Amino acid sequence: MVSRQYRHNLITRSTHWVNALALVILFMSGLQIFNAYPNLHWGHKSEPEEAFLTISATEEKGEIIGYLRLYNWSVNTTGFLGIQNTPAGPIPRAFPSWLTIPGFFWLAGGRRWHFFFAWLFVLNGLLYILYNAVTGNLRKFFPSRRFQLLGYNRLQKLTYVGVLVILTPLIIVSGLAMSPQLNVAFNWLPELFGGRQSARSIHFLTTFLFALFTFGHILMVAVSGIINNMRSMITGWYTQEIHVPKTAPVKVEQPPEETGLLQFKEDDKNGET
Amino acid sequence: MERPSSTISRRKVLLMAIQGAAALMVGGCKNIFDQLHQNKKILPVLESAEGLNRRVQRLLTPKNALAKEFSEQEISSYFKANGNPPPLDQQYVLDGLRGWASWRLEVVGQVKKPRKFSLAQLKRISSRTQITRHDCVEGWSAIAKWKGAPLSELIKVVQPKTEARYVVFYCLDTDAQGTHFYQSIDLHDAMHPQTILAYEMNGQALPIEHGAPLRLRVETQLGYKMAKYITKIEFVTSLKEIGGGKGGYWEDLGYAWYAGI
Repeated sequence: MVSRQYRHNLITRSTHWVNALALVILFMSGLQIFNAYPNLHWGHKSEPEEAFLTISATEEKGEIIGYLRLYNWSVNTTGFLGIQNTPAGPIPRAFPSWLTIPGFFWLAGGRRWHFFFAWLFVLNGLLYILYNAVTGNLRKFFPSRRFQLLGYNRLQKLTYVGVLVILTPLIIVSGLAMSPQLNVAFNWLPELFGGRQSARSIHFLTTFLFALFTFGHILMVAVSGIINNMRSMITGWYTQEIHVPKTAPVKVEQPPEETGLLQFKEDDKNGET
Repeated sequence: MERPSSTISRRKVLLMAIQGAAALMVGGCKNIFDQLHQNKKILPVLESAEGLNRRVQRLLTPKNALAKEFSEQEISSYFKANGNPPPLDQQYVLDGLRGWASWRLEVVGQVKKPRKFSLAQLKRISSRTQITRHDCVEGWSAIAKWKGAPLSELIKVVQPKTEARYVVFYCLDTDAQGTHFYQSIDLHDAMHPQTILAYEMNGQALPIEHGAPLRLRVETQLGYKMAKYITKIEFVTSLKEIGGGKGGYWEDLGYAWYAGI
């Protein structure tokens, strides 16, 4: 039996793709901004000797090498981080030009992109959350006693809720905590993180948790039926083959007594992603 | 139900197609975004976020809210001096050796009482000492103790006319092409209690690399707003006729005039 489901509403679908675009641009323009001072610190100020992370270039045995240093651990990253090989020869650059917006070294430009898409990211996210909170669609991410034909599993719920409730507020607030004007408005804002430089470090590190989520998300979309998944996020419609034993129909009237997390016994690969 | 075996290979083909598309995206992105960035229609759209930043951030700021002030122990051991090299011409160096005896701060423009101040006269206006954090647009922060004349007190002396909206700072330093540095803030920031014309840093006369004899401190904004080597202040209605018309040296190059973020 094949069932067709209308899985994602129009707001979810459109905000999903705006969000995807915003995240890519925020990531790449953020790396441009990082390149202007490729060191991370803890605390209020940045004493040069006290950076816990540095991506830079140095000379070693007469050769220019790029490196990433995290505390006392250091790795040669020539060609990717610190030193980028170009047709014109190696150039010192923390993140390579193909990962930054703009591609050329231009802090002011990176900031323009970053702040425009930061607004888009926030307003778009608010639209998604408000609409789906009002319509009750967000409930699918939280533990539920109700039977869900196409429920998310626990790991999926944990991941989505983590991104929505922890990572997203964290990256927004740590970003705002770097603003001198907002530091004047709210003296406690950078203190939440232990100082402005700590906020900058957390903002940067959270970026890579987002990147990790995005990587995992795309991977899961790909392995659990990319066409079906893509169709459902573009048109809303998802198709699924369902096994319905003729002799013993599944009883769904009563929730199970313990966890309440009954899932339809379905092919793993048909799960939502 | 058994999956048709063809789905596996179709999936493989699709995955390869996606990998290819991703590689193309990454390879092509640089050019796409660079072209968009240089597009005369796109850039103003991106720049529109600046006005939103300014309005929303100022709306959120309580009246007379102050930047955090730190303790003496928290002062940075190193404070990077960014920007142009010091204007080390003969007149500047000799005047510096004589304690800035012939240096004057000229205040002109839309004011009822334009006048010149010597360093001694500025010091007599009244002074404020603050240990604050300096945030560079590049990303670093350094803490220092600053002493100077509150700009709001100077404003009381020169009395801006009602049409004055901006305060422009003209500086001695130039870039490699000889373009003079200048900056501007609006009266809103100029009247902030921590906005001072600093002549001392960490208990010493302002060092040459940090803008001797006089530099601006605006604690609501990033470091590039804080003009060094100031010699002239002008009160104006509009910034369009000055320099490149964007309100400052860095602004003319593409940086935002509002540097509260």
